[in-house]
Amino acid sequence: MIKKVILTTATFSLLLLTGCGQTAPDLGGSSNNISDASALSGDTVSINENTYGNELGGRGNSSSDGFQSVYFDFGDYGISSGMENAISRNVNVAGNANGRRIKIEGNCDEFGTDEYNYALGLKRAKSVKDSMGAQGMDTSKMVMVSFGESNPICTNSTDSCYGKNRRVDLRLIK
Amino acid sequence: MRYLLLVLLSLNLFAVDASLKIEKDVEHRSRIALEDASSSANEQFFKILLSDLKISGHFLADTRHHRGDLNSKFITPALKSKEYVLRYILTQSSGTKLIIRLLKASDGKELFKKSYSIPTTSKAPFLAHKAISDINDVLKYPSISWINRYVVFSRYTSAKQSEIILADYTFNYKKVIIRGGLNLFPKWADPKQKSLYYTSYAGMIPTLYRLNIYSGSKQKITSSEGMLVCSDVSSNGSKILVTMAPEGQADIYEMSASGGSKRRITTFNGIDVNGKYIDNESRIVFVSNRLGYANIFKKSISGSGVSQVVYHGRNNNAVDAHGSKIVYSSRESQNSFGNNTFNLYLTSSTGSGTRPLTASGTNQFPRFSTDGSILQYIKHSGSGSSIGYTNLSSKQSLLFPLGVRKIQSLDW
Repeated sequence: MIKKVILTTATFSLLLLTGCGQTAPDLGGSSNNISDASALSGDTVSINENTYGNELGGRGNSSSDGFQSVYFDFGDYGISSGMENAISRNVNVAGNANGRRIKIEGNCDEFGTDEYNYALGLKRAKSVKDSMGAQGMDTSKMVMVSFGESNPICTNSTDSCYGKNRRVDLRLIK
Repeated sequence: MRYLLLVLLSLNLFAVDASLKIEKDVEHRSRIALEDASSSANEQFFKILLSDLKISGHFLADTRHHRGDLNSKFITPALKSKEYVLRYILTQSSGTKLIIRLLKASDGKELFKKSYSIPTTSKAPFLAHKAISDINDVLKYPSISWINRYVVFSRYTSAKQSEIILADYTFNYKKVIIRGGLNLFPKWADPKQKSLYYTSYAGMIPTLYRLNIYSGSKQKITSSEGMLVCSDVSSNGSKILVTMAPEGQADIYEMSASGGSKRRITTFNGIDVNGKYIDNESRIVFVSNRLGYANIFKKSISGSGVSQVVYHGRNNNAVDAHGSKIVYSSRESQNSFGNNTFNLYLTSSTGSGTRPLTASGTNQFPRFSTDGSILQYIKHSGSGSSIGYTNLSSKQSLLFPLGVRKIQSLDW
């Protein structure tokens, strides 16, 4: 019985190994044997580790003093994974601020109304403050202010434009 | 059950704006015609008088701009079918003067005569409002004195810039009273509209001031990190409800009008805003996202229990209250971007008697009149933005066009 199991296993292993064997692709000339060449048609990426994750989807940066604006989804005030690098960068910049106070400004798009939108801006500012605190920053030097929908950096009626306005800006207090 | 569903569906299908329902309820209104005896006819002033008569809910006004002789007893035969004729002379040279005579249409008998004057021409709309308010009182209809009140509103002018403006309810009169920087959330501080609260962003953190609009004297009430809004003022002006975040968390506080003492009313690790007094100021309604979306809740000033008031809609983000009456705006479309449909609903502090007040467009910033009989709101639609008024008993509505700049907040 044991012999039979060993024999069966060995047979399957041999078959699998045989199946994994590949002929080296000949990429030159007309003898290209890749049937689906589309995998090679697009160019590959080239990333810069110093800036990777900070591109903000082309939303730019309306913070100052080296800080990076943090962007939010519609109606949301949680820090998305795509914004974690921006938070880390802000922690580094804040660490070099020589004890100066930092203003954290919460902003919203124009679709909220009245008081609720200002509270939403404040929750965004608080999320950034708390995230920086979670990375060891002393938050006692941070001052939050919500500007609601009053401080748009983009006024076109497009999705990307509204996305630029749902943000938190950071700057040193002069 | 099937029939009930059909009936409900039909009601929903045929729901229309209150402004379209109104015109049939005319049984109790007085038929009145206006006769302009001024040396030159002023169409704008005539339209303001007409608006006043219409929104009162007490008159069925002839919309034709008739001309007449102020002192004549003769009533044009065409107007004999009316109950009343209001003759007036408007003079605007160095100031504004208005003389009115209310006549009985059947025999020309004078029922009321009065003259009004103010030293400016820009405030002429207020003379129209006062005259119609007086005629309404002479004919012993329920008071419409709310038409004499100022509306105060803030509007954005550019990024981090806004103005606070006084207006009459029709927005024909407008005057900027606070400019420079970002000044938000104006709120009348007293029943006579001598002072108002507003939030200034001139300092490091938002600061609440009370401004006397006649003397210009300004008093700092309090300041708060994050945000600061005076949401409501008690009927005698001694207490205010404020949304503030002294510890970075937006909650509702009750303060003395001087800012001397404060009491935290809500404690929630989310958003609690827009507190409004209800039930003789023993409780508040407010907007909270404690269920994961903006909705309307209530609690007593001193107790800790919170209960849900509204059980419909997934985004009810603004509320106003008068006594036990509550009005709220509800987002009824799901566009993340672009114009969403916001409709206004009237309900009570117990959540009973809920009914829609609008059926189309973006209707926001609902505000009751001081007597709770009229609702003011901002309406955005394809044709632009307007300020709207709905008489909650007669269901009569009016819309006045607004400029293009975005309204931030308003009060009246």
